[in-house]
Amino acid sequence: MVDVGGHMPERRIKDHPVLEFERGNEFYFDYEGKKVKAYEGETIASALYADGLRKFTESKLLERPRGFFCAIGKCSSCIMSVDGVPHTRTCVVLAKEGMKVENQGARPKFPFIEVEKGKRLERDIGIAIVGGGPAGLTAAIIAAEHGADVHLFDEGDKLGGQLVKQTHQFFGSHTEDAGIRGIHIADELIERAQELGVEFHNRSTVLGFYPERTIAVERDNRFEIYNTEGIIYATGAIENFLAFENNDLPGVYGAGGVQTLMNEQGIVPGEKVLMIGSGNVGVIVSYQLIQAGVDVVEVVEALPEIGGYQVHASKLRRAGVPINTRHTIKKALGEEKVEGAIVQKIDENWQPIEGTEREVECDVICIAVGLHPDNEFLRQAGCEMEYIRELGGYVPKRTEDMRTTTERVYVAGDSAGIEEATVAALEGKIAGAALTEEVYGSSKELEKKKEEAKKSLEQMRMGPYGEAPRQGVKMCTVDEEVC
Amino acid sequence: MSEEAGVVIIGAGVNGLGTAYHLGKMGYDDVVVLDKSYICSGASGRNGGGIRQQWTSEENIKLALESRKMFEKLNEELEQDLEFYQGGYLVLAFDEDESKDFKKNVKLQNSLGVESQYLTPEEAKEIVPELNISDVVAATFNQTDGTIYPFKVVNGYANRVREMGIDIRDHTEVLDIVTEGDEIKKVKTEAGDIKTDTVVNAAGGWSSQIAEMAGAEIPNKPVRHEIMVTEPYKRFLEPMVISFKHGIYFSQSEHGNVVGGMGNPDEEVGVNQTGSLWFMKNFSKTLIDFIPRFSGVNMIRQWAGLYDTTPDAQPILGTVPEVERFYQINGFSGHGFMVSPVVDKVTAELILGKEPSMDIDRLSVDRFEADDFEAEGAVVG
Ligand SMILES: Cc1cc2nc3c(=O)[nH]c(=O)nc-3n(C[C@H](O)[C@H](O)[C@H](O)COP(=O)(O)OP(=O)(O)OC[C@H]3O[C@@H](n4cnc5c(N)ncnc54)[C@H](O)[C@@H]3O)c2cc1C
Ligand SMILES: Cc1cc2nc3c(=O)[nH]c(=O)nc-3n(C[C@H](O)[C@H](O)[C@H](O)COP(=O)(O)OP(=O)(O)OC[C@H]3O[C@@H](n4cnc5c(N)ncnc54)[C@H](O)[C@@H]3O)c2cc1C
Repeated sequence: MVDVGGHMPERRIKDHPVLEFERGNEFYFDYEGKKVKAYEGETIASALYADGLRKFTESKLLERPRGFFCAIGKCSSCIMSVDGVPHTRTCVVLAKEGMKVENQGARPKFPFIEVEKGKRLERDIGIAIVGGGPAGLTAAIIAAEHGADVHLFDEGDKLGGQLVKQTHQFFGSHTEDAGIRGIHIADELIERAQELGVEFHNRSTVLGFYPERTIAVERDNRFEIYNTEGIIYATGAIENFLAFENNDLPGVYGAGGVQTLMNEQGIVPGEKVLMIGSGNVGVIVSYQLIQAGVDVVEVVEALPEIGGYQVHASKLRRAGVPINTRHTIKKALGEEKVEGAIVQKIDENWQPIEGTEREVECDVICIAVGLHPDNEFLRQAGCEMEYIRELGGYVPKRTEDMRTTTERVYVAGDSAGIEEATVAALEGKIAGAALTEEVYGSSKELEKKKEEAKKSLEQMRMGPYGEAPRQGVKMCTVDEEVC
Repeated sequence: MSEEAGVVIIGAGVNGLGTAYHLGKMGYDDVVVLDKSYICSGASGRNGGGIRQQWTSEENIKLALESRKMFEKLNEELEQDLEFYQGGYLVLAFDEDESKDFKKNVKLQNSLGVESQYLTPEEAKEIVPELNISDVVAATFNQTDGTIYPFKVVNGYANRVREMGIDIRDHTEVLDIVTEGDEIKKVKTEAGDIKTDTVVNAAGGWSSQIAEMAGAEIPNKPVRHEIMVTEPYKRFLEPMVISFKHGIYFSQSEHGNVVGGMGNPDEEVGVNQTGSLWFMKNFSKTLIDFIPRFSGVNMIRQWAGLYDTTPDAQPILGTVPEVERFYQINGFSGHGFMVSPVVDKVTAELILGKEPSMDIDRLSVDRFEADDFEAEGAVVG
């Protein structure tokens, strides 16, 4: 069964209780000879999704269908040929009038692209910040406030990182920002950085680290080189995945992917969603789905109790969504896309209990089982890494100043360990201040701001939810001499 | 706790595990294979998978020819598709000297049973239509050369070796080799000692360190060599294309990705396995000179491994003068995968005191005592 547009229900959200989608101009582009509608500001993947497309490409060897998944350029499940350029990540490229998009299948033809000849861009710059989420933005701001030459690299068209898709009241417990929606925080940070003269490098993917602190960047199909005085690495996190039969079917999405599609692009992922995971992200995204008019059929959770805040869980219960603990997903049903799922009970030893299998009717399976830090770059930079379960995976050893074991390479935010946005921003502030001191010399004011941020961070981690990260951070924080 | 083993093999790359496989096949399973890291973590998991018989020294041609024949049967033996694709090797000459040598090489290769051909630039372009031949003077081609998927070969050996009851211990570093007089007594590892009188040094870029532990001297030096892979495409490139002059080689794998590497003539000796910007810049430029359409293609990964180099670019096999039953199988430079089947088999035969199926005396370490050893000329990178 192949989806065709036209008779599909409207996927673009019109009325939303908290969000307003100001869509830009309407235009059309070409997908496999068919005209597809898009609005200015929509990515190619979103527009195709809204048009009803589910299978975006095929896996390289087994040629299994591949669909939309992470929506933030990390998973390569949505690559297509765009204006003759194969392997384009359609989830991070904006749709444009008259664009020609093709399904490249498992393996595209060897491309024939006219590449402008010219000298490769190579530049000496001050501080490079990789990633423009809350961590990168706050690092950029404090460094620029103190006269540093700051360059902020982000592979997206828009800065703000994961903050942009947080439409709910913030769960950062006792900070001034709690109660404000993530989207607004991001806008303020971006504006402030702009005022201070931070140079933004958008659509610029940082590919690698070379000695001595040189970074390689891809922008608009060109390769650029920046020799830096110091680097702050803040690329955030990657979603965790689950092993179950057919888990690669289009329609199995990460929670972040669903948020991007729904809250950023204003497009609903489907009609009936099965949510896997009842942590904060699982319950919040479930509630956001309901707000967007989507039916959440069930939330399954492997743990004996709900992991997320009770406030959000209660909202779900009031909306009549069953939350089944000690349950897991056994398999996804369907050939070309999700047409249902089998869920199952598990026992105290996490073993599935035979005979408890049950079919769930759904067209989307949303996986919300946590994140792990995105920090391969730091490994390449030679930073010593350690596996810390409490922080979501491998993280770099660092000082209290967020300095890694590689000279003048700092880390902040989810790349340093999975916590939350307020923590990311505070870590960004610390790293930004410390690196500025190291490169440009220290000042009383910088020192004071840095110490204040450290205190706030400590307070943030005092609450009951701060227990695990507090333990985790302790395990990977090392003394100044070690670094 | 003190353990005992008939043979201890140091290194779980293609040669360590290949030797274990042949020992097992000959009915001998009192063997322990040790690796300080994971299986295939050395050059065996970092190479270009190239299988070439177009060599200039008689030894290398014979080793490569016999090995190619063995690779052709390996799918069946390991019950796995090893992705051995015989699209040939296209070797390009860029000046008259090279071209003259090529003629000589083809003659020698043909006399030993390798059916290589001497080609004009136009004939080369028929094989690779995308090729820029403006500076190409001549070429040679041999259809039975090709590429294989290294991970499948090495893991295929590992699975079979375990089935044979041979123990493979990864993440177990060898710290010392204890000798008394000219006899080996035991191998000290980070997880205890193993009593043995027979050790195989299959430690690739670390082999001179291992030799030193046993009080033996081999002239091997580790040198970094870099390589990369592009995004996958439908097959457009049949052979492996190589140039000695530019130090570059590239081929397309069964998966569609193009895999290619290039040597840096100024590379320093040492254990360094990180990727460099020099490679990124120079490899891409050279690749585009060879096939201009590559300018529209993305590289998705670059990495590096160690060539274990010797003064004549030929491997070191057999025993050493200082210590008895200390077998060398190292010094393969950039071609230790393609000759592995036969050298692994012969090493197993030597260990078990069998008549070797190929004479490898010329490749023992004492050849360097003579002043006039002859170097292999067809080395890439
Ligand atoms: C679904 C979901 C819901 C959440 N809800 C909340 C919440 O309610 N409250 C809360 O406090 N926290 C929440 N969080 C967590 C919070 O969003 C993160 O902790 C925070 O955004 C981390 O900030 P960061 O700056 O480290 O990374 P991010 O915000 O992830 O930003 C990283 C940036 O780096 C860029 N980037 C990545 N790789 C590269 C590269 N190679 N080159 C260039 N740029 C690159 C990305 O494009 C991105 O803009 C949520 C997270 C998720 C996934
Ligand atoms: C970039 C590159 C491209 C190449 N391309 C080709 C090609 O196309 N064709 C070809 O035929 N060859 C090629 N080669 C060469 C080929 O890869 C090697 O010659 C071959 O893999 C060597 O295998 P090995 O088993 O002898 O050694 P390795 O695979 O290097 O294994 C040695 C092992 O010893 C282990 N070790 C070291 N010290 C200790 C210790 N103290 N204790 C325990 N274990 C230890 C290491 O961890 C390692 O796993 C290439 C090499 C490189 C680097």
